[in-house]
Amino acid sequence: MKRPAVWAAAGIAVVLALLVVVLATRKPATDRVASSPLLGKAAPEVQGATIDGKSFDLADQRGRWVLVNFLASWCGPCQREHDDLIQFADAHAATNDVTVVSVVFQDDLTAVRQFFASRGGDWPVVRDDSGRVAVAWGVPQVPETYLVSPNGRVAVKFIGEVTYDGLERQLDRLRSGA
Amino acid sequence: MRKVAWGALLLVVIGALVYGVRDRSPATASERARHVGDTIMCPACSGESVTGSQAPVAVAIRRQIADMVRQGRSDEEIRNTLVASYGDRIVLNPPRSGLAGLVWVLPVAALVVALAALALIFRTWRASADGEVTPDDVDAAARARRAEGA
Repeated sequence: MKRPAVWAAAGIAVVLALLVVVLATRKPATDRVASSPLLGKAAPEVQGATIDGKSFDLADQRGRWVLVNFLASWCGPCQREHDDLIQFADAHAATNDVTVVSVVFQDDLTAVRQFFASRGGDWPVVRDDSGRVAVAWGVPQVPETYLVSPNGRVAVKFIGEVTYDGLERQLDRLRSGA
Repeated sequence: MRKVAWGALLLVVIGALVYGVRDRSPATASERARHVGDTIMCPACSGESVTGSQAPVAVAIRRQIADMVRQGRSDEEIRNTLVASYGDRIVLNPPRSGLAGLVWVLPVAALVVALAALALIFRTWRASADGEVTPDDVDAAARARRAEGA
């Protein structure tokens, strides 16, 4: 009578152990592409002052791809993806075919300045004190990243963390018209 | 007497319905913003309106709603603006057309069917009560009358 109970307990223990191993060793989901009512439509405004006192207007970027990244310094995935964004921006700096712009999402400006000072990244970082830009883009939480085509239309929406490879893959796909 | 009671009940029901659907337009801009916020879902929460949430995005959406109210935009325009960014699911009240419109129609239909069924059951009871007086019932009633007189 005891033996079946022991076997059942052992079976459950093995399944649980496997589950823990799978979940613990799994890489976090990255480069997740999501649908959005904005896809294919004219990109909402990204216009205003940057954290270093300059100004930025997405409308001035017509003719090149724009990567619009919403971030906050307190957000873990934003911290993790930052090196990949730097790699992506650097890879396109010479050809000047892609502009990277970040929009601050509900964060303290000093913290954001500190974030860029310590981690790098020299692209425009637009302030969005009222949250107007984030709401216009339908951003529920960060990080969230969009690729805007040279004709000013929203082409891809990424939710969560992005990687350099994932961004390049999507850009290649869009350029080839696939 | 019974008809008066039914009439009174009907009046109470109609009164409750009229009270329930009366126009409760918010008086001030902040009340209106709150009223619209009650119908907008916090996109980072589960089943919570932006009015009741302190999530960063809910705070931002509340601020945008207040701005749009100040600009004189109608409730519908505000909701449409948010739907254009976040999709249909941002609105807590389901749409009144399409398959989702059944959410509005089905409860009313169920109420009508239930009332009709109740009316039918009452009528059946009354008919069976009228038609099933047996000689035993008559004798029992007579015995009861005699017992009362004794």
